[in-house]
Amino acid sequence: MAEVKKNEEPRIGVFVCHCGTNIAGSIDVKAVMEYARTLPNVAIADDYQYMCSTPGQNKIAEAIAEQKLTGVVVAACSPRLHEPTFRNATKAGGLNPFRFEMANIREQNSWVHMHQPEEATAKAKDAVRIAVAKASLLEDLVPKSVPVEKAAMVVGGGVGGMQAALDLANAGIKTYLVEKSPTIGGRMSQLDKTFPTLDCSQCILTPKMVDVYRNEGIELLTYTEVEQVEGYIGNFDVTLRKKARGVITPAEAEARGIVGGGCTGCGDCVDVCPVIKPNPFELGMAPRKAIYIYHPQVSPLIYTVDFDACVKCGLCVEACGEKKAVDLEMKDELMTVKVGTVVLATGYDIFPIEKKFEWGYKNYDNVITSLEFERLICASGPTGGHLVRPSDGETPKKIAFVLCAGSRDSTGVGKPYCSRFCCMYSLKHAHQIIEKIPGAIPYIFYMDIRSFGKMYEEFYYRIQNEGAKFIRGRVANILEDPVTKNLHVNAEDTLLGRPIDMEVDMVVLAAAIQPTAETEKTRRLFGVSCSQDGWLLEAHPKLNPCGTTTAGVYLAGVCQGPKDIPDTVAQAEGAASAASIPIHRGEVELEPYFAQCMEEKCAGCGLCVNQCPYGALSLVEKDGRTVMQVTEAKCKGCGTCGGFCPGGAIWMQHFATPQIVAQIDAFLLGGEQ
Amino acid sequence: MAVKKDYKDQQLAEKLRDRKYYIPDSNPEFIKDVEKIGQTAAHMCYQCGTCTGSCPSAPRSSYRIRLFMRKAVLGLEEEILTDPDLWLCTTCYSCTDRCPRDLAPTDAIMAMRNLAARRDIVPRNFLQTVQLIYKSGHGVPNNDANRAARKKLGLDEEPETTHKYPEYLPGIRKIIDHYGLKDRADKILAEGE
Repeated sequence: MAEVKKNEEPRIGVFVCHCGTNIAGSIDVKAVMEYARTLPNVAIADDYQYMCSTPGQNKIAEAIAEQKLTGVVVAACSPRLHEPTFRNATKAGGLNPFRFEMANIREQNSWVHMHQPEEATAKAKDAVRIAVAKASLLEDLVPKSVPVEKAAMVVGGGVGGMQAALDLANAGIKTYLVEKSPTIGGRMSQLDKTFPTLDCSQCILTPKMVDVYRNEGIELLTYTEVEQVEGYIGNFDVTLRKKARGVITPAEAEARGIVGGGCTGCGDCVDVCPVIKPNPFELGMAPRKAIYIYHPQVSPLIYTVDFDACVKCGLCVEACGEKKAVDLEMKDELMTVKVGTVVLATGYDIFPIEKKFEWGYKNYDNVITSLEFERLICASGPTGGHLVRPSDGETPKKIAFVLCAGSRDSTGVGKPYCSRFCCMYSLKHAHQIIEKIPGAIPYIFYMDIRSFGKMYEEFYYRIQNEGAKFIRGRVANILEDPVTKNLHVNAEDTLLGRPIDMEVDMVVLAAAIQPTAETEKTRRLFGVSCSQDGWLLEAHPKLNPCGTTTAGVYLAGVCQGPKDIPDTVAQAEGAASAASIPIHRGEVELEPYFAQCMEEKCAGCGLCVNQCPYGALSLVEKDGRTVMQVTEAKCKGCGTCGGFCPGGAIWMQHFATPQIVAQIDAFLLGGEQ
Repeated sequence: MAVKKDYKDQQLAEKLRDRKYYIPDSNPEFIKDVEKIGQTAAHMCYQCGTCTGSCPSAPRSSYRIRLFMRKAVLGLEEEILTDPDLWLCTTCYSCTDRCPRDLAPTDAIMAMRNLAARRDIVPRNFLQTVQLIYKSGHGVPNNDANRAARKKLGLDEEPETTHKYPEYLPGIRKIIDHYGLKDRADKILAEGE
């Protein structure tokens, strides 16, 4: 393989696709085909309406047999979609599938040069010539099969992560569910009710949390973070940091030889703890102690010590008594698990809406966010479900809801995207105040009401009929009456064509959502990409929304982009299904684009070893010499080492130097000079 | 409430008048009255504009039915009832046929005209129509040109209405008198002289 095989005369077949009028609309397909016939090594050239159709594929297979082809070129669309199709056709004709080369004359040509047919045709000829040059030098390659560990990991224990973990476990796959906070449940457990059914969020979530806790196929790792990830699809070695919780479970107590010990969730420790901190679960609107649980329905029901706040007075240890559950000397522990596939379900954060000064959040007492509203209207929240004005504890009667607060904002301060669920939860909030506060009027300031889901438009209709007032216009600014602490909401009623100054008792900002602060870390750990808005990037926005560009890593829920609970759960089930496929197959094929060391040229300098982003290279002793060795399963074929090697001793399979040089030569020297 | 400033020049004061919409400027009961009289759930209007798009009056006038629906929902009673455009609806019911929320904007307009009439705000031509109906049973009574046309077509000069059977006029007048419509029309027209 280190040498270019010269033992056969290349015979290339070229097939030019019309793609209906997608290509033929601006490129003279016949001319491109005729041109291909004049190129060196081309044994046959043909064109067809749709090369990806069955007759189109049959043309390839037949030509390989009849013309004894050594390589195939299809000039059509992006290889993204149909490279596998044509590789299969090549294989069906009896050639190694890696003898196929694609020339993209659609996305990179006909679509962008729609009004320049002559230039587009010339460019298509160039693309075909370049592809033929490469195809003449292609080699047989064999994909590598690697076994897949029969275990999966789900990162994030919100409703999406829980659903993915349940599906994987119920499909017979050992699943590690890793959650950084002390309980599973995620954002959904902070919500009061869910639209459009008005189910109590916690009521429908708790059974799922219990299912996760009890499922024997799920190893629940709360208060745990991912520290390091090594390996590749089928064989990820994940190092986890189990953060010191300061409290041991009954199982851990038993392991320590404490009979009948461990945390039972009785809460005796909380009563004696002298340290008071704001509870982040209640968004700081309620206190918690240094030893705490977020809320009564936590799973697992194990207390946690906040070591940043704990003064180690030891009162909790005394209160716990014989159960000996509190261990104030506990340290973080690292553990490593091996899994075949990973589902990321890391959720979202609320955009810090105080950055939009004009709405006065954190400046005016009675301007709150929607998530704060959820806690205030929730019966288990800090006010027992009584919505009150932070300024004076009075019940608000006139409440303005500001939609698109920080969403659909291209200023660079807010977020350019639609956060997708704010319209619906604001409608729900309107319903809740009409239901709970007699005489209360919700005023909803909106630009569009995006009620796109099943029964959502009907919900909108219902809330409007219940008396919610809708004002189409984005809120320009909010001013506070310094005496009454009432708020003046300034906007235009764009339907009336007139500015509005509305005095209200409270303003609820439907703040945008954004990727979590840890997203960048997650992205680097698992080698996945993110889109320009910062959300994790799916493999294809339409046809592979659960996958990522890293094989074996899948996405579920809002970490991929804003979505509501039904969409999150649906994507979680999709991601779990996708993540289970390699595990059930038992082995995966890796594309054979590995780097290869040409040992006779390798000086063993080792410079490449440090360059490799995947840790795939190492130095080994062979026949008394130090040479580089590639762990093929880890190699992603990025070419960093091949481009770097001072001695030219690294051969990039399928992207070898002679192949690329031939392409460049064909472009610069070939053609109609 | 609207902010008032003391300009000496009355023209300037009007020109620079605060036109913002404030909640206290509105009457929340107004929409309820409109719905009660018009028998349509006007508050459910989502302002799509199908009504104005369908309206034969809109392209030829400043009449915007969507805007009247919006103002009704906001309770801008004074503005609506004093707006001469309120009387530009031909009651063709195209908007009602097409309203995607199955409302009857025409009936909401009629309700608002009713409310305006309670305050004696009715255009003179409408009042003159009342007088004509009282007098002849027709809003547009027969005239010589029409009689000639009818004759040419082989019809009787007078149609099969109160024109031919004036003995039925007292019945019509009784209905109009029941509502005091004629007297009010006379009074308003006289006051306007």
